[in-house]
Amino acid sequence: MSKYKELIRQFEKIRSYVRDFYVYGFKTRDDFYEKSGRTYDNHRRRIESWFSDYIRTDQNGHKKSVFLTLDSSRMAINPLYQSWKSKTFTANDVCLRFFLSDLLADGQLRNLETIADEIQKYYHCLFDTQTIRRKLAFYEKEGLILKKKEGKQYLYGGIKPLPHTHPNLFPALWLAVSFFQGAAPFGFLGSTILDFWNKNNDFFRFRSDYLIHTLEDEILLPILRAMEQKYQILITVKSTKRHHVNTTAVTPLKILTSTQTGRRYLCAWQESSRRLSTFRLDSIQNVDLHKPDMHYDNHMESFQHTLPLVWGVSFGDQPKIRAETVTMQIVLDEKEEAFILTRLQREGRGGSLKQLKPGLYEYTRLCADATELLPWAKSFTGRIHSFHCSNPAIEKRFWEDMQKMQEYYFTTGETSQHEHP
Amino acid sequence: MNIHEFSLFSELYTCYYQVIARILHEAAHHPLTRRQMEKLARQYGYDESVLSIVPRLIEGEWPFFQPDDLVSDTYVSVLKRSPFPQSLTNLQKSWLKALMSDSRFWLFFTDSQLKELTEALSDVAPLYRTADFFLFDQYGDPDPFPSVMYREHLLLLLHAICEQRFLSISYLSQKGKILNHTWLPCRLEYGQRDGKFRLYSMTFGKTGRKRIDVLNVARILSIKNTDRIYPAGVDIERFFDRTLCEKPLVLEITTERNALERTMLHFSCYQKKVERLKKRGIYRCTIYYDKRWETELLIQVLSFGPVVKVLEPKSFLEQIQKRVQNQSLLQQTTEGSFL
Repeated sequence: MSKYKELIRQFEKIRSYVRDFYVYGFKTRDDFYEKSGRTYDNHRRRIESWFSDYIRTDQNGHKKSVFLTLDSSRMAINPLYQSWKSKTFTANDVCLRFFLSDLLADGQLRNLETIADEIQKYYHCLFDTQTIRRKLAFYEKEGLILKKKEGKQYLYGGIKPLPHTHPNLFPALWLAVSFFQGAAPFGFLGSTILDFWNKNNDFFRFRSDYLIHTLEDEILLPILRAMEQKYQILITVKSTKRHHVNTTAVTPLKILTSTQTGRRYLCAWQESSRRLSTFRLDSIQNVDLHKPDMHYDNHMESFQHTLPLVWGVSFGDQPKIRAETVTMQIVLDEKEEAFILTRLQREGRGGSLKQLKPGLYEYTRLCADATELLPWAKSFTGRIHSFHCSNPAIEKRFWEDMQKMQEYYFTTGETSQHEHP
Repeated sequence: MNIHEFSLFSELYTCYYQVIARILHEAAHHPLTRRQMEKLARQYGYDESVLSIVPRLIEGEWPFFQPDDLVSDTYVSVLKRSPFPQSLTNLQKSWLKALMSDSRFWLFFTDSQLKELTEALSDVAPLYRTADFFLFDQYGDPDPFPSVMYREHLLLLLHAICEQRFLSISYLSQKGKILNHTWLPCRLEYGQRDGKFRLYSMTFGKTGRKRIDVLNVARILSIKNTDRIYPAGVDIERFFDRTLCEKPLVLEITTERNALERTMLHFSCYQKKVERLKKRGIYRCTIYYDKRWETELLIQVLSFGPVVKVLEPKSFLEQIQKRVQNQSLLQQTTEGSFL
């Protein structure tokens, strides 16, 4: 039986646990039935250790749920980045990481034998040259070490860190990294740069920051590579509703990011159905480069052409989209409630807005799939003078929701019960 | 070499390496006791890391220390220098290169610094192209990042935060009034949803009492440096503690229309607790929120419609009821707009 360790070999094994502990939080040991109880116990202990400041427990009868909870707007650095910093290593790995950096930091070039001798001389450790050679090759590939051929031998040297070679860039670069580690894709890398410079983010916080997306970053790398090289990819997708797994060939075109839920989607051309499709990144389990797509630019053109009709991530029926028209009239007091008008303008995603009369405004937008607009429309509850959609089913659903809301909050003066699904 | 072949999940970024680096950094200045090593391991490591790291350092399995000959129970580093700062990996550099195409990047640098950085990263390929991403629901009026004045203001604010320097600021308020005041910039907050920077700054009220004001950076008209430096640190977290709601929002959520998944993601940015009720398919979610953003939360709750129901607090419930009632009245006076 292997001993419990705080560090792990494979990230994929713990990704879904971190997600469940953070996003849901109510699950107990029994809910993680896909793996053994012991596996759950080990992962739970790890997560409790990685995120100790944000772990809470709840006891419900005999069942205990452990969850991860925090206010993201008060975080200097996304705590979920800790998951990426949990890779296991060997004693040789850690020794050579620090000895080689320390030895080669003087800028002198050395051959392999000299390096082995000097490690023994200065640090009193004996490594065989093969081990050192392999590690030097790894560091050279990672960009941490220079390798130069001189005569018949290779010489190795350290690379001076940016703060030493370009002091004029500091503290500006430190400030920029502090900001973008929380505001750019792959922010995890920014946090490692702060680690490498022994710096903290003392300047920025991020409001309504959705932290969970970091867990999908590794999946994103090959997708971006394919986009750059105009390649088709094979993606393995696990359905979030039915949980079945499917592999499909697609041409990736864009990463669609929601600032309001933190969800990220891959928008891709799916040759089998000859349509634009979107896949949630957290449902993609594997990505393999497939083959060049000769029609990449055509697919991109199709995407750009359709995008103005898309409210969120649904591209509707294709190839010929029958755009649905949503028209909504909103009442407001221009003097006291100008912010409602501001909301319609800034959140309306290109829809048109016109004043019908003082205090009454009409918002209109064409949508590939008007269902996606419903949550936004409902956020104006209390002010909706009229709501029409060219798709009668959507209009019906909207008014049924309004009716249900009224029943919930006003039946017999008390709030009524939620309907059971 | 393709930058996308590198892994984010690498030993190079492991937490333990950073803990060891911080211990060695401290040891570059003076020998360390076991207790001092343990303190650093607790500060920078995971909760149980201290048990894995310090014994290995003391007992020599990771041979970076040897006992100090002069003082008993202390240990000296065998390294010649502090491990900081470390050189960056190709992956880290390619991330920096990718940032250079972000319209917000130039806000942090002078023109000459941007030129120097461009040259420093000239042989590095960007990890991604900013254009590969599309924020489809970001509000349509983000801050004017390409504006020269905006950039000048942000640079001044950043310097002032670093130096703890008071600034004389002319500010256009939400109500259209021009305010001229002296503030101590403390922290910047960025909202991804609206693409805006907000400045948290300290000032003194008429009675001399300290208070924190929040300024929209885009509404700043002009900034002048002052000679005043604030000698102490500002505990801005206390301000946030004071603005926390007294009673949390309690919601009942169904599993209808995938509501549980949608709400859990939507509210994941808040401190929250979720319970599964005995009734099948019903969950209770308790959200601890900042009172300043109550209206925003109210709008979010409304957007879910009938799959989410507010239970508490009374004040929040009353606001929802008022809106639903207003809607009902509107519908009664508007014929033909609903079924």
